[in-house]
Amino acid sequence: MLKYNFKYEWLLLIRNRWIQVLTILLFILFGFAAYNGTQKVKMRTSNLTSAINELQIKEREILSQLDSLEAGHELNISRWMMPTNPVVTGNLLPRVVNMPPKSTAFISTGQSDLFAHYVQPIVTGEDSTMNFKEMTSPTQLLFGSFDLTFVIVYLLPLLIIAFSFNILASERERGSLKLLASQPINIRVWVLQKLGLRFFWLVMVIIITLSLVFIIFDFDIKTNWMSFITLLSIIIAYTLFWFVLAFATNIWIRSSAKNAITLIGFWILFVLLSPTLINQISNTLYPIPSRTLMLNEMRSIKSEAIKKQDEILDNFLRNHPEYATNDSKQARGFYQKYMATQQLIQDELKPLLSEFESQINNQHKLVNASSWFSPALIVQNSLNQIAGTSTGDYQNFKRQSIIFSKEWRNFFKPMLFKGEKFKKSDYKNLPEFRYRYASVNTYSKTFWLIIISSLILFLVLTPNKHQIELIS
Amino acid sequence: MILTNNLTKSYGGLTALDALNLEVKEGEIYCLLGANGAGKTTTINLLLGFLKPTSGRAFINKLDVVEHSKLTKQYLAYIPENLMLYPSLNAIENLDYFSGIANKSFNKKTLQSILTEAGLQESAFYKPVSKYSKGMRQKVGVAIALAKDAKVLLLDEPTSGLDPKASFEFGKLLQKLRQKGVATLMATHDLFRAKEVATTIGIMKDGQLKQQWHVDDISLSDLEKNYLETMSYNTIEL
Repeated sequence: MLKYNFKYEWLLLIRNRWIQVLTILLFILFGFAAYNGTQKVKMRTSNLTSAINELQIKEREILSQLDSLEAGHELNISRWMMPTNPVVTGNLLPRVVNMPPKSTAFISTGQSDLFAHYVQPIVTGEDSTMNFKEMTSPTQLLFGSFDLTFVIVYLLPLLIIAFSFNILASERERGSLKLLASQPINIRVWVLQKLGLRFFWLVMVIIITLSLVFIIFDFDIKTNWMSFITLLSIIIAYTLFWFVLAFATNIWIRSSAKNAITLIGFWILFVLLSPTLINQISNTLYPIPSRTLMLNEMRSIKSEAIKKQDEILDNFLRNHPEYATNDSKQARGFYQKYMATQQLIQDELKPLLSEFESQINNQHKLVNASSWFSPALIVQNSLNQIAGTSTGDYQNFKRQSIIFSKEWRNFFKPMLFKGEKFKKSDYKNLPEFRYRYASVNTYSKTFWLIIISSLILFLVLTPNKHQIELIS
Repeated sequence: MILTNNLTKSYGGLTALDALNLEVKEGEIYCLLGANGAGKTTTINLLLGFLKPTSGRAFINKLDVVEHSKLTKQYLAYIPENLMLYPSLNAIENLDYFSGIANKSFNKKTLQSILTEAGLQESAFYKPVSKYSKGMRQKVGVAIALAKDAKVLLLDEPTSGLDPKASFEFGKLLQKLRQKGVATLMATHDLFRAKEVATTIGIMKDGQLKQQWHVDDISLSDLEKNYLETMSYNTIEL
């Protein structure tokens, strides 16, 4: 039976223009989504390049000033801008701490329109006020991004539903089911084969159209074959899940109209409702303290600290004898007082910030754990991971940026407290930042989707429904 | 070939078929006459395994249709009143598909000769079935039965809606199959065609087989008279 189903299902799909329509539609959808994604990546890369170029211009200026100063010339600049002052250089030449887009970034906008891809930590800056948020148009956030992930997570199931909702019901409604059922076949297996073949041809169309789109948009499949295979495997597993749901619907429900409504119901449940529900639960269980209250608290701690700067500096120097000078007065200027105060502020803010962070982390943990209940969330998270735009990637970037920010401050701090000058020779020793992407592992998620699909398949194939009921 | 033994089908309080005992031997054509709702289609659906009998048993080639549902279908072919094929496939493709899923494989030449034997014109072989008349579709149905080498043919009002010529041709096809030893059970309203093709004629009413004759034992006018009497109609004197 399989041989004949295979041969004639293909003929029927071609003659009914299904394959042609699906190929054109998917090509247009994938193409437009890839174009949108590529434009976003270009904008992100261009922002990064501008920041790096700006820094390079500034660097040349500062280095030339240092050259002049070291050659004994005097410069007509304010003392607050003197590059020999380590704090001035540390503030004027902040590294562009960035998360460069992956070659797969165009697949998914993910969190990239919410979070910044680079920060420039300065010596006198605070980690808590480093801006990791991106300025985004609220209209764009309202409508989301039309990227490949959107096409795969939201639109692909709708195409599958249209392609598979009435395999059995259409035979029943056309009157051909009885002729079919008078042959020595198992109707359940016949439906399974028909849907299996449709799944096979849709996967073929997806692979071909996606490969074409990737080639058109200069994605190097040869170099990034692993990402491409991972992407395809998660799409295939998601497609399988929807086909299995369609199979169950075809077997359990009798008319085309009811099948369509049921499958749309599943789409609403899995794609729209469950992610929202999980989000609501995480917000209720782990409410984030008010940001306004946190900022007010921070302001009051700061204003208190600033009033007691001299006292704070004394205490700081007591705790850091390595910063002591040979001068018996231990006289210090503005920046020393400022830095000591900043240190105290940061120590006092730690519990407040960690409460804030821990609630956000708890929310993320709950969303991640609950995502196993929603195939749409599983695929969304996996594709974000492949693209390097997942929440995890941005948290990772934040962590690495804060570590670098400390490293940057700690490079200049000893010079500041020991009263040493920043020299041109120190420039080559400045800390450099290189972002390390976390390794992508979506295999367990793909595997889970296959497990869910197999479980539903097993339930449907268990002969609790007699063939008679399928025909009548 | 076809045997029913007190075959009964009830839906709640309604008895659609009441203890039917019927036998169709090899090379016989049994025509079941009766009004709508008499139980003719129910009998065919029970023999096809599309319905589960409330009591009694039905056999095809000595095999119980409930216990050996898949196996009995290897021996039978079914032509409903409106044979619906795949409209975008042509006759050769439809025949190849239905034979294929019934585990019968043929080359193109054999498929063509089967369709010719079923009376389909050669010029129609490669036209999509959507362009076929009802008579042409019924011929493809016969071709499916021929290709399957069916020993039992179940027909549910196959000539209803056919023009006299198509109906006559269909009758000839049935005779051809009869000569091959096929046992045919045909539910019909067409008394004239029944008298033409049948070896045995039965009249059903309210799920019961009321009368049964060998075709040689009854004339067409007597058949009509008996039919109307059984149905409790008054014979109209013209």
